[in-house]
Amino acid sequence: MTTAEARIPARPRTWPRTALVAGAVAAFTALTCIPAIGGVEVDLAAIARNWRNGADKMAQLLQPDLTFLPRTLQPMLETLQMALIGACFAAAVSVPLTLWAARPTNPNGVTRRLVRGVVNVVRAVPDLVYATILVALVGVGALPGLLTLFLFDLGIIVKLVSEAIDSSEHPSLEAGRAAGGTQLQLNRALALPQSLPLFANQWLYALELNVRISAILGIVGAGGIGRLLDERFGFYAYDDVSVIILEILVVVILIEVSSNALRRRLV
Amino acid sequence: MSQDARRAEAGVSPASAAWPIRLERASVTYPNGTAALRDVTLAIEPGEIVSIVGLSGSGKSTLIRTINGLVPVTSGSVEVGPHTVSGLRGRRLRELRGHVGMIFQAFNLAERVDVYRNTLVGRFARANALRSLTGISTAEDRRIALAALDAVGMLEKVWTRAGSLSGGQKQRVAIARALSQEPRVMLADEPVASLDPPTAHAVMAELGRINAERGLTVLVNLHLMDLARQYTTRMIGLRAGEVVYDGPASEASDADFEQIYGRRIRPQDRLGAAS
Amino acid sequence: MTAAALPPAPSRAGQTVWTVVVGAVLLAAIAFLDVDWAGLLDLPRATWEYGVLMFEHPDWERLPRALFETWRSISMAWLGALLCVAVSIPLGMLAARGVGPSWLRRILRGVFAVIRAVPEVIIALILLTVTGLTPFTGALALGIAGIGTQGKWVYETIESLDDAAAEAVEAAGGGRLAVVRWALWPAALPSLMSFALYRFEINIRTSAVLGLVGAGGIGSMLSNYTNYREWSTVGMLLIVVILATMLIDAISGRIRRLIMEGAAARGMARST
Repeated sequence: MTTAEARIPARPRTWPRTALVAGAVAAFTALTCIPAIGGVEVDLAAIARNWRNGADKMAQLLQPDLTFLPRTLQPMLETLQMALIGACFAAAVSVPLTLWAARPTNPNGVTRRLVRGVVNVVRAVPDLVYATILVALVGVGALPGLLTLFLFDLGIIVKLVSEAIDSSEHPSLEAGRAAGGTQLQLNRALALPQSLPLFANQWLYALELNVRISAILGIVGAGGIGRLLDERFGFYAYDDVSVIILEILVVVILIEVSSNALRRRLV
Repeated sequence: MSQDARRAEAGVSPASAAWPIRLERASVTYPNGTAALRDVTLAIEPGEIVSIVGLSGSGKSTLIRTINGLVPVTSGSVEVGPHTVSGLRGRRLRELRGHVGMIFQAFNLAERVDVYRNTLVGRFARANALRSLTGISTAEDRRIALAALDAVGMLEKVWTRAGSLSGGQKQRVAIARALSQEPRVMLADEPVASLDPPTAHAVMAELGRINAERGLTVLVNLHLMDLARQYTTRMIGLRAGEVVYDGPASEASDADFEQIYGRRIRPQDRLGAAS
Repeated sequence: MTAAALPPAPSRAGQTVWTVVVGAVLLAAIAFLDVDWAGLLDLPRATWEYGVLMFEHPDWERLPRALFETWRSISMAWLGALLCVAVSIPLGMLAARGVGPSWLRRILRGVFAVIRAVPEVIIALILLTVTGLTPFTGALALGIAGIGTQGKWVYETIESLDDAAAEAVEAAGGGRLAVVRWALWPAALPSLMSFALYRFEINIRTSAVLGLVGAGGIGSMLSNYTNYREWSTVGMLLIVVILATMLIDAISGRIRRLIMEGAAARGMARST
């Protein structure tokens, strides 16, 4: 008995590290709850008091006035157009940028870090901020919305696909290099076809996101159904608002379903 | 049958003469301090088929990669034919690599791409800048690639996605890729380690045939003793980065292998007969 | 010779049709969009002009207020992420094939889809009536709105796990709960934690958006000063937003990489 026990290796102690992580998370959370430095004041009592208001509002929103539907069609179409065009242009530009930003396809550290840096800066600005500023730059309408979506999509696609390329294996590139190929040949003939599913996945995701976001961009004047939404909300016309929300819902679900089907066929 | 006649029958022009390989006190030390190769001196004559035998970690992969410059030597020199590998960069290095065909344990094909385009990878070194950009290949490239596929018996799968092939088929496509380079030297890094015994024998036989019919210098990394004995004429044993055996493969005894491995021979060191 | 033995090349007709259709739809979308394309030509000049206005002399005097509001946005994002993850992990697991019964899965996935489709702003506007125009509303909105996407990522992760461990537990006689606790949870944990941090990163951006509808944070400051056309302040705010977001992205990205590398080292990473 004792000889067997003596041969058991010492059990690794992972609890100090777990305790450290848990402690850090708790401390950070505590800091976020202090209003004095800008934290959030967690007012659970307000929920208990006023939840009925929210429930009422939701009930109102569940009573759509379908006669309002025709007025929403043109803005909705504009939203969809912006979403599609933004996604397509971003998809086209994302290919060279992504290949520049990933290590297997761009061994040159300097240009790679430069592209990554620029993309990170572009990603760091929230979509509505772009929209707000672009509206001030080029005026109200669908153009600032288009540009916002283009920039937003580019940031997401390049970051996610380049990370995926970085973290997957590319044995065929070694063979191409051994055969005497240039990086351009390798990327074009090998890396691109191999990473096409990764790209297609993110292009479709960008399209889905676009439809959701471009519905809001209208609030700051960047075109699409958001403007109508904002206007109707301002008039407390919740039955109209609910029609709009319903419409957005239907469109988003349709796009998601079709993009899922497309994804399965592409892979 | 003479070498040239055999080559003519295989459809290969007799003009391409194989290259010798010379390593002179080549050493490779990786940035993390591991000394993968120590002072290796080898002379391989044109047209020889040589196996490099050793356990994992003995330096075989490093050695074979110094020959086409995938791994640079930290000291000493490597010569392949008229080229000194260590001094080459950029376009000249790619030119050299164009003359050295290589196949890998993991086949290294692009799984989503068809067999034809995978084979065309072998024509990379010959393309000019414009063709690299547009990806268009010449009629000559097409002819050579298809001939290479035919030579390994994979022509009927030419439009199939590489990912749907079996291991043995993938390795044959990889060989076709290397052959379409019209190389002077053929390198094989553990080409059969991922294959079952009958397929392993088939691929090794293929390499033997390439050596016999085309007269190419062939260098094969192996860790199984009987394959080395059966398919190669000369064997180099590597242990901990140093050459510990260099002689005719058929004369290598079990005791020699034990010296190369640094331990007793186990059943898994033998592949078994071709079923 | 070889030409005779060559099999026919596969037909590209299907692919071509698809490309033509997509191209046509795209062209139609562009043609019928009511946009002043001339504005595009003016864009470089306008960007330069406003860029100079914003970044030549950023208004650093308002920096303390900006930092206060930034912490406000970060707090909203963090608490929102905590709420979102706490709810979406159990619900997402129940929505995964192999864990929950199919009727429950369908309901949950439907709920996720609906939440995904409703923009965060709408959720915030509804919550306004309950918790007022406060950052707490923002945090709740972020938490609830994220459940849609986060729940989807949870069940996708669970479903993409290798069956081997679950099979082993079942073979040993374990029920659903045991399979979840001993096979699915440990394997999915690195990815789930990684997604949780990613949710935090997303929330940082969305919190700025919520600020624009008045929930507070750096977004509201940006919106106000853009409306006042005080470009030097806008410039300073942009710099603060970009730096803060990049910093958080970098730290969070590093932690996520450490998590996934640790998982890969223990052979548990899921492939992309």
